[in-house]
Amino acid sequence: MIKTEKLLKRVPLAEGELEILKGIDLEIKAHESVAIVGASGSGKSTLLGLMAGLDVASDGKVLIDGVELGALDEDERARLRAEKVGFVFQSFQLLPALTALENVMLPLELHGAERPLERASSFLERVDLTDRLDHYPNQLSGGEQQRVAIARAFAAEPAILFADEPTGNLDTDTGAHVIDLLFEINREQGTTLVLVTHEHRLADRCDRRIRLHGGALVPESDAAETEA
Amino acid sequence: MIVWRMLMRDWRGGELGVLLAALVIAVAIVSGISAFTTRLQSSLEQESHRFLAADLAVSGSREHPFDWRQQAADRGLRTANTLVFPSMVFSGEEDMYLASIKAASDQYPLRGELMISSEPFGDPLTVTTGPRRGTVWLDSRLFPLLKVDIGGLVTIGDTDFEVTGAVRSEPDQAGSFLGFGPRVLMHLDDIPATNVVQPGSRVEYRLLVAGAPEQVEEYRQWIDPKIVSGFRLIDVNNSQRGIGSALDRAESFLLLAGSLGVVLAGVAIALAARRFSERHYDYVAIMKSLGADSGKINRIYATSLLSIGGAAIVIGSALGWSMQAVFFELFADALPVQPGPSGARPYYIGAATAMVCLISFAWPPLGRLGAASPLKVLRRDLPNATRRSVLDNIIGLGAVLLLMLWYSGDVQLTLAVLAGLFASASIAGLAAWLLLRGGRLAGMRAGSIWRLALASLQRRGGANTLQVVIFSLAIMLLLILVLVRTSLIEEWQMQLPEGTPNHFLINIAPDEVNAVRESLTEKAVLPQPLYPMIRGRITHVNSEALGRSDDPEEGRRERETNLTWSSDLPPGNELLEGQWWQADTSEALVSIEEGMAERLQVGVGDTVSYLIGSQPLQVTVSSIRKLDWESMQPNFFMVFPTAVLQGYPATFMTSFHLESGDKGFLNEFIRSFPTVTVVEMDVVIKQVRGIITQVSAAIELVLGVILAAGALVLIAGVQASVDARLYEGAILRALGAQRRLIMGALVIEFSALGLFAGLLATFAAEISVFILQTEALDMDYSAHPLLWSLGPLVAVVLIGALGVWNTRKVVSSPPLLVLREL
Repeated sequence: MIKTEKLLKRVPLAEGELEILKGIDLEIKAHESVAIVGASGSGKSTLLGLMAGLDVASDGKVLIDGVELGALDEDERARLRAEKVGFVFQSFQLLPALTALENVMLPLELHGAERPLERASSFLERVDLTDRLDHYPNQLSGGEQQRVAIARAFAAEPAILFADEPTGNLDTDTGAHVIDLLFEINREQGTTLVLVTHEHRLADRCDRRIRLHGGALVPESDAAETEA
Repeated sequence: MIVWRMLMRDWRGGELGVLLAALVIAVAIVSGISAFTTRLQSSLEQESHRFLAADLAVSGSREHPFDWRQQAADRGLRTANTLVFPSMVFSGEEDMYLASIKAASDQYPLRGELMISSEPFGDPLTVTTGPRRGTVWLDSRLFPLLKVDIGGLVTIGDTDFEVTGAVRSEPDQAGSFLGFGPRVLMHLDDIPATNVVQPGSRVEYRLLVAGAPEQVEEYRQWIDPKIVSGFRLIDVNNSQRGIGSALDRAESFLLLAGSLGVVLAGVAIALAARRFSERHYDYVAIMKSLGADSGKINRIYATSLLSIGGAAIVIGSALGWSMQAVFFELFADALPVQPGPSGARPYYIGAATAMVCLISFAWPPLGRLGAASPLKVLRRDLPNATRRSVLDNIIGLGAVLLLMLWYSGDVQLTLAVLAGLFASASIAGLAAWLLLRGGRLAGMRAGSIWRLALASLQRRGGANTLQVVIFSLAIMLLLILVLVRTSLIEEWQMQLPEGTPNHFLINIAPDEVNAVRESLTEKAVLPQPLYPMIRGRITHVNSEALGRSDDPEEGRRERETNLTWSSDLPPGNELLEGQWWQADTSEALVSIEEGMAERLQVGVGDTVSYLIGSQPLQVTVSSIRKLDWESMQPNFFMVFPTAVLQGYPATFMTSFHLESGDKGFLNEFIRSFPTVTVVEMDVVIKQVRGIITQVSAAIELVLGVILAAGALVLIAGVQASVDARLYEGAILRALGAQRRLIMGALVIEFSALGLFAGLLATFAAEISVFILQTEALDMDYSAHPLLWSLGPLVAVVLIGALGVWNTRKVVSSPPLLVLREL
């Protein structure tokens, strides 16, 4: 489903270049749920961004269903995202101009899906926000906003869901509720889930963990040591 | 659907307000001014045609060649002929009076109205043609003077005529000073029988032409090269000098104001669009992460812009239409003729302006949104790529140039304004940068509010410099308009102040001078000095005999003219060359008007010979003068020292002001001084004043709209930096800063920006007004000391208030809310 080969990301700095990712090779299978863990600055979000086609690698490849993202231009990657990819972000990233319902309808309308209103409403119902349809993001609590974001991510029924610290801005209880929802719907839809987190609780619920340290993958055997 | 929802939400959030308002103002300014000038032009042109009784007239001291009239007829134009000359009119054995005779063909008048009454001073009645052959209409005043009634007989030359009416007004009565004296209107075909018009008589022939504008223009082009000495082409523009120059300047002003208005609106649009795009950068990143490609993003924003543009065109056109409609409604009474319709063209121009503004000012930053990186959803710190590129500036500048050129049709004005703007922007930019840099040195030792404010000014040095440039440009443009408008209106009012002499008395015999002066003083009208008038013929220049007066060759030829004497330089005259003489000099000198000097090809030191009656007089040119032909004051081509002319037989002339309600005085006056000729200029002066009042009011109205555009620029400029200031303020508050500290710092910051901008604007405005008035508007310049205190003060108050108003949220809302909304 997702495959990276010798994935490299460098950024220019005043005093030379910084390698954020140092040749990552990994493979994630369909319907698998994978947690990318590691300390701050280890390159987790960069890896997620590259796998989702939000950014371009300096070297190496990312393949989604055999399609190499580096060979696509920005608009082709956008179309691929529209077809196969959903997102949940740490800072929710709802459009402040749109109501909860309209935010969920947005990807459906962008893809030209049929009956966007009904589908968006049913997904908001699924995340227990039936009475919040017409509220704007700034009228919702953090947990509610993240539930809207989850409804938005699943409404288009993506094959892959990328989640970047989905509970990072939430308190423990609210976070737990959001995680439950995320995994429930994920299971129902059979989505491939790739999430970045440094919460053990969240990582533990995934099928597999990938640990990053200083921009490189840490073998599973070393993981316990690094953690210790 | 998404587009509409986002638009509606942006509208509710106030994000589109400035953009829409700026566009609406651009459309309203352009369509309103354009419709206004079109209608006013048509109204004034009709009015001027009325003054002329035609669309075009050829005046001559001899009969026109036959084919001139034939050519006009062949082009489908209507024609008429008139002949004006002074002649004695007799009644019975004893009564006679020097009248101004006008003989007109059947078609007269081609434009305007001829009014008569069936008895002297009776109810006026409009007629379409002059008197039948064998009959005459007399000025009401002539009836008592000639002791004649309707149905009676008067004699002109060898022929008797029946008096069948009183002529009350002619469209072209103010046409010529040959029209001295009360009018007698007769038929042109009766002239030969009277035998009064002989070769050498002082007469004015006029060929009047009217018809469709294109044909009139064709005819003008045909006849123009054929006009030789002794003939003169008279059209709308030169028939009324006072109105002509007032209108030209008003038009220049309106064009200038309109162009500047569009520039201001363009700047406001660009600023608002830039802020709009910056605020939408995150939206686009989210939409892109959700799979929207750049084409879709571009379509969304293009549709938004088109919708805003459409709304702006509708609202702006309605506003533009209302502006001119309200204006014409208010001034309907002052207008001499009802203005014609403006047609749809002004609104097309307005709509096109909106589109050009959108494409060149608003689209560049919005068009770049499509290229926003979706990675911003993960990394909020990524910089926005919406900074203005050099290309944007070139597109914007090109659009301004195009619009101003298209709008004013005046390359010189456009380039002058653009060069002025460019120079001011560069100077303001450099000065603002230096001033802001100096702020740190001066501010470091100050208290904490000052330190906070000055640190903030410094930190955003680049953005603040841009802001000061924009503020100072906007304020400069507004100051320029206010200054030019004030000078224009003042100058017009000075030209024809209340109490301007509106009646002229000529032919006053020397022994009547005192009695006339007493009579005028008694009536409490304002008597002007009495000027002697002596007819004289110029015969030689530097002892070289001049050509005969009917010699068709242009330039040096004999001519008869009015001479006067004066010990002082007459008021309103300006000495161009030479010296004015001592009051008591008896030297044989003359001072000549510049145009006349040019025609005679004489300069200071040349000699000129005259024949006055049968006595020759030779004098030396001592000075060349410039006259103010628009002053409605007696003006003389030739002025001599008192001692030189005093011995010659002279009559006197003067002028005075008479209110319209006091016209009865004229009848008394004429009875007391039957040989004095009264020339009534009150109608003309009233019309000129009326038109000037309208044009002044139009200028005020347009200025008001431009001020609104300027205010929008200020608002857009302030808003451009509001987000950053809100953010910093919220963080400071979160860290425990008092409201007073934050507000105090904001007040100081915006007031300082206002002060810098105000100083720069005042400086630039003073220079620009100097150039504009002396070069473009042909006016005199004087400095404006008040401006130097008022300009910066107004800028400080305006920008300080706008800035604080727009950032008040930082202290009025909880910091968390402010941070969440940003």
